[in-house]
Amino acid sequence: MDGTFDWLSPNLPPPRNRYREPVSPPLAMMAHQRGIAVDPGDVVSTASACDEAQGQILLRVDSITKQYTDLVVLADVGFDVHAGEIVGIIGPNGAGKTTLLEALAGILPAETNDVYWLGRSILPSRRREAIFYLPDGVRPYQDQPVTRVLSFFADVYRRSAEEIAGTIQSVGLTPVLHKRVHSLSKGYGRRLMLALGLLTPQPLLLMDEPFDGFDLRQVREMAKVLRDEAAKSRTLVLAIHQLMDAERICDRFILLADGRVRGVGTLNDLRARTGNPIGNLEDIFLALT
Amino acid sequence: MRSHEAFRVHDAPLRPLLTKELWEILSGRALWTMLLLMCPLVGYSFFQAVSLFGEASAAGQQSPVLANSLSPLDGVMVPTLGASYVAVTLLFPFVAIRVLGQEKESGALRLLIQLPYRASTLIAAKLVAVLAAWVLSSVPAFSALAIWRLLGGHLSAPETLNLLFGHLLYGLLVGAIALFAASISESAATAAIVTLAFTIGSWVLDFTVAGHPGLLEWIARLSLTQVLRTFEQGLLSLGLVMGIGTAVCGFAALATVWLPPGVHVRTKLFRSLVCVLAAAIVLGLATQIRFSVDVTEDQRNSFPVADQRALAKFAEPLVVTVHLAPEDPRYADLQRNVLAKLERVLPNVSVRLAGGRQSLATNAGDDSYGEVEYAYGGRSDVSRSSSPREILPLLYGLARVALPAPIPGADYPGYPLVTNGRPALLWFFFGLPLFIVLAWWRSRRLPDSINALS
Repeated sequence: MDGTFDWLSPNLPPPRNRYREPVSPPLAMMAHQRGIAVDPGDVVSTASACDEAQGQILLRVDSITKQYTDLVVLADVGFDVHAGEIVGIIGPNGAGKTTLLEALAGILPAETNDVYWLGRSILPSRRREAIFYLPDGVRPYQDQPVTRVLSFFADVYRRSAEEIAGTIQSVGLTPVLHKRVHSLSKGYGRRLMLALGLLTPQPLLLMDEPFDGFDLRQVREMAKVLRDEAAKSRTLVLAIHQLMDAERICDRFILLADGRVRGVGTLNDLRARTGNPIGNLEDIFLALT
Repeated sequence: MRSHEAFRVHDAPLRPLLTKELWEILSGRALWTMLLLMCPLVGYSFFQAVSLFGEASAAGQQSPVLANSLSPLDGVMVPTLGASYVAVTLLFPFVAIRVLGQEKESGALRLLIQLPYRASTLIAAKLVAVLAAWVLSSVPAFSALAIWRLLGGHLSAPETLNLLFGHLLYGLLVGAIALFAASISESAATAAIVTLAFTIGSWVLDFTVAGHPGLLEWIARLSLTQVLRTFEQGLLSLGLVMGIGTAVCGFAALATVWLPPGVHVRTKLFRSLVCVLAAAIVLGLATQIRFSVDVTEDQRNSFPVADQRALAKFAEPLVVTVHLAPEDPRYADLQRNVLAKLERVLPNVSVRLAGGRQSLATNAGDDSYGEVEYAYGGRSDVSRSSSPREILPLLYGLARVALPAPIPGADYPGYPLVTNGRPALLWFFFGLPLFIVLAWWRSRRLPDSINALS
């Protein structure tokens, strides 16, 4: 391996996806240029799905199924993620959000795990080339001071001193740089994880419960950090069980319950689907699940 | 703007990974606790060895013949490093397991495996950390050797380095087993049980099945303690080094297979099978390599120099047929005193046990039992001796060559030393532990780069 993608399936059939959105003409042209077959029926002249800046389908999850003996945790889950957007995977505890993210990141084996990156199949073992996943509840290298953990990630990805300083500043880690990871509060532990995620260069960042442990003010602060990151053309997929937090930050939502996708779209799309034009995410989630 | 192209992997710098591994192993209490425990353990062994060597030396100073047998390798180094071996067997697994187990338990492994390194690179970096831990844990043993020199004791560089090399390989083997155990276990406690099953299981093999014939003899050879015996005898065996290296690489490869959590168990089992088969093939080849070097100063594993030179000229094959059961102590004597030396010096020698797997009980009434037949150049002769003094003339007779004249001045002089090792106890019980505690405290200090990051 030379370290670049060796696309294993150059002439793939168009992926099957039950929640695939219509393909806009610019995207269809882009797909054609990349040699990806697009069903002419999928091409519609609508700007409702996503604008051109966010139009490129970065990730297409065709099917992820995960099963533990008799228990189906994820049942043929599929959805698309567009470039530069913030997608929220919404669902109650036990819905399969974490399992979905881990399977997507390639760190959990699944029965089916058909994922396409920019239209090309990407094996689970190579997902880390495009995706970085920040798990929930992890306190990495607890005996080390925060600064050493940050330095490790920064050195691995050859980040400049300015980039490191900017990341520390943006997530507000400065007061605890001298502390060891095990002595951090839950909130600062979360900030550290977020900082590590921001130091990684992968175009797609998956985050499991990124706001867990934050108060309202901190959630807004971190939401701004994530918005800024998305503005740098990074795509974020967040698994969130707090619907208010999700509504505050996400562009689109994937509603997950009992391991099945119950709805995908923007808040307005979902409102239209449920026939509730003024409903909030909570109302919509309850209506669809 | 961030590119949507995939990030290039496998070209990340190794330095941060190695630095992280070293900091991780230095940050844990396991290594420092082990070091502190090793100080009195190694120190007392050293003190006892020096005392006993001193007592023997006092007698040796009266008789040059006795002095000839006083080797610091047997008298001081092997017992001192033997204490280190006990600590590596019982305590080192906990240090090595921590290198991987800590990350598994904290969840950091899920971050680590997403970094742009191959799983094999991650395991190799951890093995380097294990090696560094072994070097640190050997500080008490190293200091014992230094004190021995300060006391006026003699050290032969080849045999000392050979012995240390053997302990290094043993430490790496235990470390590789620990990494493998940590990679297949969900918790460090389970990994410790798995590793100790290997290390302490070796002792069980030594005590229960060693010396028995047949399958039990073969099983006994799997004991990890066998690794050190050859080095303690002053032999550097290429086959053994290759075998241990293969075992280390094999366990590291298995740890690599089981490290990524995103791979199905079936796939891991298949890859493990491939690793085990490959390692078994290389181990099989390693057992066929008979090349070894006698690095001892007294050349205890070789015949006298004059005989070595004469035997090296034997061009035809020598066939030795032994009418002894493998568990017979006479066979062990013959093997050690004659056959092993012949195999090292003669270019073409083959040894076979007559009647296959004999036993002491079944051959009690056999008149030929105990005989050893030597065949060379179409002639043969029989002896019941296991002493080179009787067998070498027999071989020269078969080859029709004259007995070589002894080379004067080639005798080992011996290195008796009567000294008091008691002051060394102060170092091992107070001085060295104090240094270790200071080093531990120093390792807990925050890095200087904190100001730059702030």
